[in-house]
Amino acid sequence: MKPINLAEIKPRPGTQAFFRWRQIGDDAILITNLEGNWLILTVEEFTQFARGESTPDSPLHERLLDKNFLRSNYDVQAASERVKARKYFVHGGPLLHVMVVTLRCNETCVYCHASRANMDQVDTDMSIETARKAVDLALSSTNGFITIEFQGGEPLVNFPVVKEIIEYATERNKEIQKRLEFTMVSNFALLTEEKLAYLLANKVQLCTSIDGPEELHNAQRKLPVSHNAFQAAAGWIKRVNEAYIEIGLDPTLYHVEALLTTTKATLGKWKEVVDTYVGLGCKTIFLRPVDPFGFAERARLRLEYPRGEYLEFYRKSVDYMIELNKQGVEILERYAAIFLTKMLRGEDPNFLDNRNPAGAGIGQLAYSYDGKVYSCDEGRMLAATQDQTFCLGDVDTPYRKIVGHETIRAMVIATNLDQQPDCVNCAYNPYCGTNAAYNYKAQGSVFGRMRDNNVCAVHKGIQDYLFEKLAENDPEVMAIFERWTTIRPREHFVQEPGRTPELESDLEAAPSEA
Amino acid sequence: MSSENQTSFTDIPEAIASVSGTDRSVSMTVDSELYPLQAVYGASYIFIDRCYVFIDRPAAGSYRITLSAKESVEEVEALRRIVGEFANELLSCTWRHQVTQDNRVAIETVTVQAIAGAMGEPSLDDLADFDFTDEALDDPLGIAQSWEEKHGRPSPGPSPEAKAEADADAEPKADTEEASA
Repeated sequence: MKPINLAEIKPRPGTQAFFRWRQIGDDAILITNLEGNWLILTVEEFTQFARGESTPDSPLHERLLDKNFLRSNYDVQAASERVKARKYFVHGGPLLHVMVVTLRCNETCVYCHASRANMDQVDTDMSIETARKAVDLALSSTNGFITIEFQGGEPLVNFPVVKEIIEYATERNKEIQKRLEFTMVSNFALLTEEKLAYLLANKVQLCTSIDGPEELHNAQRKLPVSHNAFQAAAGWIKRVNEAYIEIGLDPTLYHVEALLTTTKATLGKWKEVVDTYVGLGCKTIFLRPVDPFGFAERARLRLEYPRGEYLEFYRKSVDYMIELNKQGVEILERYAAIFLTKMLRGEDPNFLDNRNPAGAGIGQLAYSYDGKVYSCDEGRMLAATQDQTFCLGDVDTPYRKIVGHETIRAMVIATNLDQQPDCVNCAYNPYCGTNAAYNYKAQGSVFGRMRDNNVCAVHKGIQDYLFEKLAENDPEVMAIFERWTTIRPREHFVQEPGRTPELESDLEAAPSEA
Repeated sequence: MSSENQTSFTDIPEAIASVSGTDRSVSMTVDSELYPLQAVYGASYIFIDRCYVFIDRPAAGSYRITLSAKESVEEVEALRRIVGEFANELLSCTWRHQVTQDNRVAIETVTVQAIAGAMGEPSLDDLADFDFTDEALDDPLGIAQSWEEKHGRPSPGPSPEAKAEADADAEPKADTEEASA
């Protein structure tokens, strides 16, 4: 890409309102404003705009006017309403409550050392007393929607406590009356028909990990005895999807989704990764880069890669997914969907690690097996390496002390992009977010330095790719992007206030019986 | 780049920082007009896991930051990386200091709303636990005190008229005290 020459353009204040800009192609300049409106201009159009010389009644003037880029007609009311809509989550309080019911795990993954324990370390199981107190704390949240997410270790290892949390939370919620949801991230290897029946009856949304094709998955995730972690997960994905159909759920909406951890070995296998996910019936791939939490320095060298290589992988993967969509295959990339929802709809899907300010403490809390409470799951993983920076107290600490903790205040400020050098001038500011725990781990402070920050590089690279696609304006691609931003809530998994899962199942069963 | 002893970094401009190196420490002297003290603190702090950090003022208008590696540093390149990372962090902190001042209202507003939204209103139990016996104002420097209180001077005496009035008022009391005795 040939950079534009600002010395030749000679920008000066004129008719334009506040804007940020970024070149995304030889003849394509993106401009964005405070409230997240955007336009892609040619160099000639950008030159006129930057000089404050857009001519009234010209097509460019109309476009600028329509998107609130002109000072004389700046619609303050419209701008404030859009900013308010984008930041609706700020007042919400914690909705995601990650419960680490054990550190024990039946699999050994190359990227996960510090935050797991061997199967004989029963002292890393959460007790029932701690679990109940964690539920009490979670239900104290000001948020009217509570998601309790079971994590580990492998949560199925401590299934009695999973059941206790589900049943105690459901019982307590009869009085508290929140919208309640349970999700579980599991490798499925310890799932049984009996456990599945319980999880289905209690509307627990199931999610697993797939690292790509069988050979790669099994190389990265070691499962003793069978030595085939992939088949263990794949078999249960199929079975759970069948079970959803058996209870009358729409399979296009209700199916198991999986999480990918992209390591150095994944980068060359972009096509195989996408094909594997499509083959398993997944409709979403989250192309997550490996993060620095939980593994040793020696493993880091083996697994990490320059983010430029990751972005090449990302582009090839999503290009391929777009081609598959054109052929009628329904598959979307999660990062793209998150950013596109902000760009195209002016809404925030409330993905906690990619919002401004981020969700640590004010959108999520993590409860460790030992009762300690952390600002986020990353903070909990750091504690596994003897760094308690993000510990807010324990399950006996009053709720208001937890969320009013000085660490939370620091994290809210640190992830506010209006205080972040680089972000304040970045065209992607309205759609982006930073992660304080990542910054702390990678760069030594919750603020970080965006110019040499890997999360920033990934976010910028993905948004570059998406705006390039938007600049091309291919109707087929635009229709696919439109679909990717259409949120279809999975209401089945939400337990409405005052309705127990069993009761709701009966009600849902009634029409088909009739 | 001035080099007081064995280590020099020829690619680091002398005008920005002067560096002197030993086998495991580097000292940088920076212009205090370019870098506020808060930024120096902020940038220095992130090195405390790897280095012992010393800050002093060798002369008016400058700060000197000495980073002494906790573990032995074998290569000059490693010291150069420390200097470079410190300089980048210092710039980042300096700009953040400015940006934070520029956007203070927006940052405070969002932060207050986020924390208040997460905390919610205090319950009756929270209020019952609240310690109302605290001093309303923490004033260690005595800013809220009167000049007389602060410096121990006697307050101006009452006017002669007021004194006469007070004496008159005091007489019956004395009578009463005597009577009761």
